[in-house]
Amino acid sequence: MNLKMPYIRIVVIGALICLLPLVLSTFYMHIAVLVLIWAFLACAWNIIGGYAGQHSLGNGLYMGIGAYTVAYLVNRFNLTPWVGLVVAIILSAAAAAFIGWIVFRYALKGAYFALVTIALTEAAVYVVSNIPALGGAGGMQMEYRGNSLAYMQFAGQNGYFYMGVVLVVFILLLTQWYKRKRFFYQLIAVRENEDAAEALGVDTVKAKIKANVMSGVLCAVGGVFYAQYFLYVGPRSVFGEVVSVQILIYAIVGGLGTTWGPVVGAVLLVPLSEITRGQLGNSFPGSQLLLYGLVMVLTMMFMPFGIMGLADRLRQRWQHRSATPLVDSQGGEAS
Amino acid sequence: MNLNFSGAVLSQAVASGIMLGGLFALMSIGLTLIWGVMKIINFAQGEFLMVALYLAYFLVARGHIDPYITIIITVPFMFFFGIGIFRATISPILKDPVMNQIMLTLGVSLILQNLALMLFSANVQSVNTRYSTWNIHLGSVVISGTQLIALVGSVLCTLGVWYFLKTTDSGRAIRASAQNPTAATLMGIDVPRTYLLAFGLGSATLGLAGSLMIPFYYTSPTVGVFLGLIMFIVVVLGGMGNLLGCFVGGLVIGLAETVGAAVFPGSLARVFTFSIFIIFLLFRPQGVLSKRQT
Amino acid sequence: MTAMLEVRGLTRRFGGLVAVNDLTFEVNEGEMIGLIGPNGSGKTTTFSMLSGALRPSSGTIAFNGERIEGLKANKVCRKGLARTFQVVQPFPDITATENVMIGAFVNTGGGRQAEAKAREELERVGLTPKADTLAKELTLLQLKRLEIAKALATEPKLLLLDEVAAGLTSTEVDVMLKLVRQLNTEGITCIIVEHVMRFVMNLSHRCIVIDFGSQIAEGTPEEVLNNPAVHAAYLGEEASIA
Ligand SMILES: Nc1ncnc2c1ncn2[C@@H]1O[C@H](COP(=O)(O)OP(=O)(O)OP(=O)(O)O)[C@@H](O)[C@H]1O
Ligand SMILES: [Mg+2]
Repeated sequence: MNLKMPYIRIVVIGALICLLPLVLSTFYMHIAVLVLIWAFLACAWNIIGGYAGQHSLGNGLYMGIGAYTVAYLVNRFNLTPWVGLVVAIILSAAAAAFIGWIVFRYALKGAYFALVTIALTEAAVYVVSNIPALGGAGGMQMEYRGNSLAYMQFAGQNGYFYMGVVLVVFILLLTQWYKRKRFFYQLIAVRENEDAAEALGVDTVKAKIKANVMSGVLCAVGGVFYAQYFLYVGPRSVFGEVVSVQILIYAIVGGLGTTWGPVVGAVLLVPLSEITRGQLGNSFPGSQLLLYGLVMVLTMMFMPFGIMGLADRLRQRWQHRSATPLVDSQGGEAS
Repeated sequence: MNLNFSGAVLSQAVASGIMLGGLFALMSIGLTLIWGVMKIINFAQGEFLMVALYLAYFLVARGHIDPYITIIITVPFMFFFGIGIFRATISPILKDPVMNQIMLTLGVSLILQNLALMLFSANVQSVNTRYSTWNIHLGSVVISGTQLIALVGSVLCTLGVWYFLKTTDSGRAIRASAQNPTAATLMGIDVPRTYLLAFGLGSATLGLAGSLMIPFYYTSPTVGVFLGLIMFIVVVLGGMGNLLGCFVGGLVIGLAETVGAAVFPGSLARVFTFSIFIIFLLFRPQGVLSKRQT
Repeated sequence: MTAMLEVRGLTRRFGGLVAVNDLTFEVNEGEMIGLIGPNGSGKTTTFSMLSGALRPSSGTIAFNGERIEGLKANKVCRKGLARTFQVVQPFPDITATENVMIGAFVNTGGGRQAEAKAREELERVGLTPKADTLAKELTLLQLKRLEIAKALATEPKLLLLDEVAAGLTSTEVDVMLKLVRQLNTEGITCIIVEHVMRFVMNLSHRCIVIDFGSQIAEGTPEEVLNNPAVHAAYLGEEASIA
């Protein structure tokens, strides 16, 4: 297969998506922006969760750092969000590096890693709620200053939409590019078998810390975007367990450790949940998360590799079969 | 930060901490069994407790049953509730990677939380019973009678589960299946059934917790989020599967919460609790009591 | 000239059990060393310490004159000391080529170069037909070859082979024998742990025998085979020594 093909596909699909504002109403444009925000965050989580196989349940921490940094700097110092973005990247990188260093140095894995990341993101909720300068439990509103790229604010959804498309195309290209590089191969090796990876010269601790930083920084960027779109940040809307689970749900349903999986997951689930909320939200609060819970249970039971994972597997099986028509005589389980 | 730190405040905080610790230990016994012993991960354990609390709440508030009598309903109900959930969801993917179990049970917790939200609204519900005003005064320190009962219940439940695991055939089967499922099968133990039993029991203890808690605690759809995390913290602190450790872990976290609340403003005490947990996971993952291995 | 590998007083305890006890030996460049001993005598534990997977309780390991005991496995590997695992350790959900690429990335950052290197190593161990098969779908023999290809891709100067012939049929053993001999002629120094005596005896220039973690004999294959202490250690395992 042509090695350029995946990149071309990403750019072409991205370009086609840019036509959507011509056909969608305001309500659906709002949903489209939400899809892009969550797709971006899920792609960011996919690096640590999908490729490196370290299922962080606390990436809301980094999203929150991004969102709160930009909101605070804009509100308090009247800075442009672009400066906020840079500061958010620095802060989230520092936090992710420090947490990763501690957690992976002590070889926390599986359920323990998941629990520590929940504890951290929940701790952030309580810390932020107790800091009056950050708006306490009520969070912070941001002021609308007018339609301008310098303010990273737009009238209507279209501006945000194009920004979201750029972000998602960027993270897809990044993922696709890294997939052919040593770094991602090392992450996959860590996920598949840590002892074997170490024995083959992979510094597993360093690889995991790097993945955590990359994932964290990108989640913070997603958080900045989120804050600029809603012009509001609250402790539980950007930090905390529920947001963290929401970030990863799209990646899991779409397919862990695949380039497109998180996007596919977000494209399917976000509109579904927004429409459910629109229809049932008033009479049945919680219908959206109930739906997510159901989808998560069903995915784990019947499709643990997610949609793209399943597609990959089917394709592999198909290629395998067409390449070697007879059952491999040496086939059989290696005991 | 206002450090309002007087002797009376501190002794009250310690007394309340011990009471709260008993409560934390009580609700964590089930997870000690399910996760600590059987290594089944259930991130919906907090929501199971939420279900038990709602059941106890309705029995007391609507059914006008004495809270301590509701035990005969909540315990068997939670036993079968646990078994039902286990059969339908967890048991089919028991051999899948740990993370799949985490994600699946997180899904279950989302379902239960939001079902409760739909059915019972987001309101915090609590109930007044004739025990509610029963307080015991020890000098300047006040202890709530219902909390004392929960503490006693916690001790008895710990002993009961310990006795069950040590002496009965089913208990031995549980320990054998947890240690080595293959060997247990060879010894004629029905391993899948044993898992089911252990999970049911772990869930049933939450029925007891629900009934003992409702006279002084509250319930809401999200009550299980925090309590569930506390359960995991207590089990880690106690050392996976260590019942006595679970009790000590409960006390440590109970004290951390109340003493923390006396020292730190607002809900920052929570941060203190989480910090203790993370420090323990990093430096003493084997728990408070057990000796370091290797 | 100093030896490539110098091991002094290497010891490892597991609780009360002394798995490896005060081992001292040297390996020179270009040598093929057989490390043999009955089940549970501490061979794999020795390999784990040499490769950095396990910290020695005491003792020193010098590789090309540099002390490496206590270094992490990835550092040891990057110094040119690679190992295969007795219980094969593939990366199950990626292809054979990608498995080997992980090792190849020790010496190159580029995906294309790593893939070329990986295909080369697969060719060398005779796995080319399975290059694009997922590792979890390979047979035991194929996985054992994959183990070697992975280790070779890191371009080791010293290769530790842990029971690469175990569980193979007689013809398969011959194939493996040829492969390992080939590696040696290409200049890779090897330490071979093996219960299949035909394999070790044919390949080794020198054998070290351990029992209960301690060295009980050292010498050419013939000397070792005729050593009464070795016979005593293997008593009850006569079948495998013949
Ligand atoms: N991680 C460990 N913890 C405790 N004991 C161990 C551990 N690893 C090995 N042992 C013990 O150390 C001893 C040596 O084991 P080792 O695997 O090195 O033997 P071996 O010579 O490779 O045996 P075999 O020929 O069966 O592969 C054995 O008694 C084993 O039970
Ligand atoms: Mg061995």
